[in-house]
Amino acid sequence: MLVYSHSASSDHVTPLGHPERVARMAAVEQGLAGLAVERRECPLGTREDVLLCHPASHHDRILAAVPVDGWAQLDGDTYLSPGSYQAAMRAVGGMGAAVDAVLGGEAGAAFVACRPPGHHAEARRAMGFCLFGTVAIGAMRALDRHGLPRVAIVDFDVHHGNGTQDLLWDEGDCLFASSHQMPLYPGSGRPEEKGAHGQVLNVPLRGGTDGAAMRAAYERVILPAVADWKPDLLLVSAGFDAHRADPLAGLEWEAEDFRWLAARLWEVSGGRVVSSLEGGYDLPALSESVRAYVEEMARLSA
Amino acid sequence: MTDKPVAEMAFEEAMAALEGVVTQLERGEVKLEESIALYERGAALKARCEVLLREAEEKVEKIRLAEGRAVGTEPVTGL
Repeated sequence: MLVYSHSASSDHVTPLGHPERVARMAAVEQGLAGLAVERRECPLGTREDVLLCHPASHHDRILAAVPVDGWAQLDGDTYLSPGSYQAAMRAVGGMGAAVDAVLGGEAGAAFVACRPPGHHAEARRAMGFCLFGTVAIGAMRALDRHGLPRVAIVDFDVHHGNGTQDLLWDEGDCLFASSHQMPLYPGSGRPEEKGAHGQVLNVPLRGGTDGAAMRAAYERVILPAVADWKPDLLLVSAGFDAHRADPLAGLEWEAEDFRWLAARLWEVSGGRVVSSLEGGYDLPALSESVRAYVEEMARLSA
Repeated sequence: MTDKPVAEMAFEEAMAALEGVVTQLERGEVKLEESIALYERGAALKARCEVLLREAEEKVEKIRLAEGRAVGTEPVTGL
């Protein structure tokens, strides 16, 4: 299994007390320590990569808003520091390299361990800690540049992936399946939101949903949908904030539930999986959950 | 948002506050960081409404059982 990361992830600095903080990367590294994975450095993503999903005006506006020092605030939650653009572009580049490597047969699975996250970023709007839709960009890379017929995305971050849904709303060749707590930020993700071609599958979960109920929902709805889709590549928005310790949400999953997800997602994937870090704000829980998820995915894809 | 403790709210107050919370959550106007606190407030308001409804139901039931006997009715408070 390949793990992509870059020191630029730690140059995206948020104001003191912000949950999506630099220290998350150290927690992720602690979780990855000693695992049997091949570490690679993320290349820098390009403007053209971003334009696979966003209008040029969005990319250029983010770039122009990067401050020389201090912060620029894009919405109630989302900040740019001097290193934020580079960090986001390493995440996009890492996703691109991971997709290329997995499709090139270098590995069955890859994990992109970068921040900022991406799944809330809409076509023309940075929000919810996210600047560019990293995972959606990965999907379009696979479809457009590699010419894959079918891609699937599973998003198990506790918040709905409104950005991914927005960016791929009209993309009939990409299944987007999301589980998320509802009601909760960002407010979207109802089952009635199905995408232009019926390719969006939203599975809202009540506050307090534990690992057993999550597994039942995945077994009943999401995993069969992915298996039926027969994707040539599975992308995963891997947020670990459904953990019971997370301060930003109210689900009751544990690290072993993320191990279970890794196993079941691998089984339905057809053998090509690229996962990308999204949320997860309790540092010990993030560390433990990333470890469980990557360890299992590495074991099965070896 | 009123500062009155949820446990002291009348049904109409709790219901109105709950509708406000749900509208905010559904519109996606809430910050990610604050969303969970708002959700928890919504859950507390919902619980308060349920308690008041249950109390009212019990009172109505008492009245129903007392029908035909000259015991009068107990006032329905909290509604």
